[in-house]
Amino acid sequence: MFKAKFKAKIIAVLLFMGLVGLCGMRAIGGPQSSAAQADHPAHETWRKEFDDVCSKTQDAMTFSQEELTDLIRRCDALLPQIKKLDESQKKVYMGRLRMCRGLYAYVLDAKRNEKK
Amino acid sequence: MNKKIFIALALILVFCGSALSQTGVKKKRPLPYEYGRVIIDNYSDKANLAPVVFEHWIHRSMFTCRVCHVDVGFAMKAGATGITAADNARGYYCGTCHNGKRVVDGKTVFQACSRKVNLEDEKRCVRCHSYGEKVASDFDFFKFSEPLPKERFGNGLDWEKSEELGLIKPASFLEGVSTSKGNAFVVQKDFALNPKVEGMPDIIFSHKKHTVWNGCELCHPEIFMGVKKGTVRYSMVDISQGKSCGVCHTTVAFPLTDCQRCHSKPVS
Amino acid sequence: MPTCLMRKGTRRNERGLLLLVLACGVLLLGNTASAQVYLPKPLPEPSEYGKVILDNYSTTGPGAVVFDHWLHRSKFTCRLCHVDVGFAMQAKATGIRASTNREGFHCGACHDGKKLFEGRPIFAACSDAANDQQCDRCHSLGKKGARKYEYKEFTAKFPKGFYGVNWEAAERSGVIKPVDFVEGLSVKKAPMRSREDFTIKAGYSWVHPINFSHEKHSIWNGCELCHPEIFPTAQKGTIHFSMFSNIEGRYCGACHGKVAFPLNNCQKCHPRGPLWAP
Repeated sequence: MFKAKFKAKIIAVLLFMGLVGLCGMRAIGGPQSSAAQADHPAHETWRKEFDDVCSKTQDAMTFSQEELTDLIRRCDALLPQIKKLDESQKKVYMGRLRMCRGLYAYVLDAKRNEKK
Repeated sequence: MNKKIFIALALILVFCGSALSQTGVKKKRPLPYEYGRVIIDNYSDKANLAPVVFEHWIHRSMFTCRVCHVDVGFAMKAGATGITAADNARGYYCGTCHNGKRVVDGKTVFQACSRKVNLEDEKRCVRCHSYGEKVASDFDFFKFSEPLPKERFGNGLDWEKSEELGLIKPASFLEGVSTSKGNAFVVQKDFALNPKVEGMPDIIFSHKKHTVWNGCELCHPEIFMGVKKGTVRYSMVDISQGKSCGVCHTTVAFPLTDCQRCHSKPVS
Repeated sequence: MPTCLMRKGTRRNERGLLLLVLACGVLLLGNTASAQVYLPKPLPEPSEYGKVILDNYSTTGPGAVVFDHWLHRSKFTCRLCHVDVGFAMQAKATGIRASTNREGFHCGACHDGKKLFEGRPIFAACSDAANDQQCDRCHSLGKKGARKYEYKEFTAKFPKGFYGVNWEAAERSGVIKPVDFVEGLSVKKAPMRSREDFTIKAGYSWVHPINFSHEKHSIWNGCELCHPEIFPTAQKGTIHFSMFSNIEGRYCGACHGKVAFPLNNCQKCHPRGPLWAP
């Protein structure tokens, strides 16, 4: 009897902590459900980052190997965020990111090859 | 004994098999207004609509290849994108422009695939879902093509010259969709590709002429992976099957029958 | 001898023999069938050779169209119709309709009532004008007296060969002067140098090699009629095809089986004869 009561207490405490944690996360703008994304300004950050990274494709030939490596790293960082988008957005932006990252990797490859 | 029967059957199959492939024949030349037509038929049937007919000539006179195939995200093969009515209604793919709001050339672009469809919308649906139906188009090919410089094949138009002369002004930036601004590409100089067949003029490849329409990422690395010139061999057989140059130059850009457009350097 | 009274060994032998006979029979059948395909089809009358019956809409329209190649190839190169105008070289593949003719495509590219040939306007195909309808000149299948030109009179002065007209000789001697450029239809292009004649080794050692002349072909075809659709590569040895494909109407057979000199004329391509003779 004592054991069951103790178990119930632990569960209650854990639940309470979870609830607090969730509210806290919402307050600081952490991961949210996709339904809320459209309204929350935080969803724009991935789009801003995408626009910033992939707007430079026409200058790819002028970047150094380090700059290209950094751009590729930023593309890779965007991937998990894009995977969380709704069906249509995901389809479109996965493709766009693939092409954008692919180009930077291609130009990096070409530059490395040149040096050889 | 079983082996002999197996061999006999195999022989018969081989003789029959070669009859099924369709290389080595002369197909028809698509009419100028037909060239570049794409029939999209992934889900139209299920919606009781005719397959979609997409005309490239209408769109390429207003936008570069890059806007649709990179920024909007269409694949380069019919049916490969997997466009759904839901995607369009949400403002993606066709719905990026065909949303009833975007203005192109002073006209509001009609909406594609709205969420709720009623009887009056049928007229709008058949504007795209028109395969096999007689649907009047807002665009007349003859009127459109009359002032433009002519070429031999494909649409019978010299798209390259038309763009150079400013007779068409394809936009390379779509508000709210495109990321890169401007056409200031830093590209390699034109270079020659040597054909394997002696006597055939060299191919002069111009990056500049291609980036006007395509940017960089449309071709690299997905269509052209090689980073060092000469490492990847492109054969006419592969190209005519729709690989490398053939991704565009069999169905939308000037076709392969126009040999001299590429093989333009005279052999000294 | 009934099987129940046979020894085990002989029963096995009998089964084996039966299977062997069956296998040989199948092989023989297969070979005979394939041998049939290796022989070109029997030839029709020269006047019928190259005749194309266009019968897509005969039940709804004015009847099937009869197109005779001999009439048009004496006046125009193959390239003009099959590249500039854009006809396919297979039945039902072009999609010619009265509407496309009226728009100035397909037959209507020349048959528009305006273009002149030898000083006279070419009659309009599928004309809408009631007083100008010459439907039966093309839609002539089964109709007597509808056609203007007959094979015998038309080709009377042309040099003859193994089978009907020797078109190569006719063009060389100047008896016919096929037109390769039509204003408003063709676009002038820088000419490409034609390759030298070369030999193609047959796939079997007992077949004599083939002599191929690019020059003789490009007079009629230019480059783009054959390349890349019929022959995707200009590099020798990269595509493999056999007489079987030719007889089917592919590769060389795209022309040499329907319009150009037929495959039965072996020596034209295999100058030492098709088969090796000691």
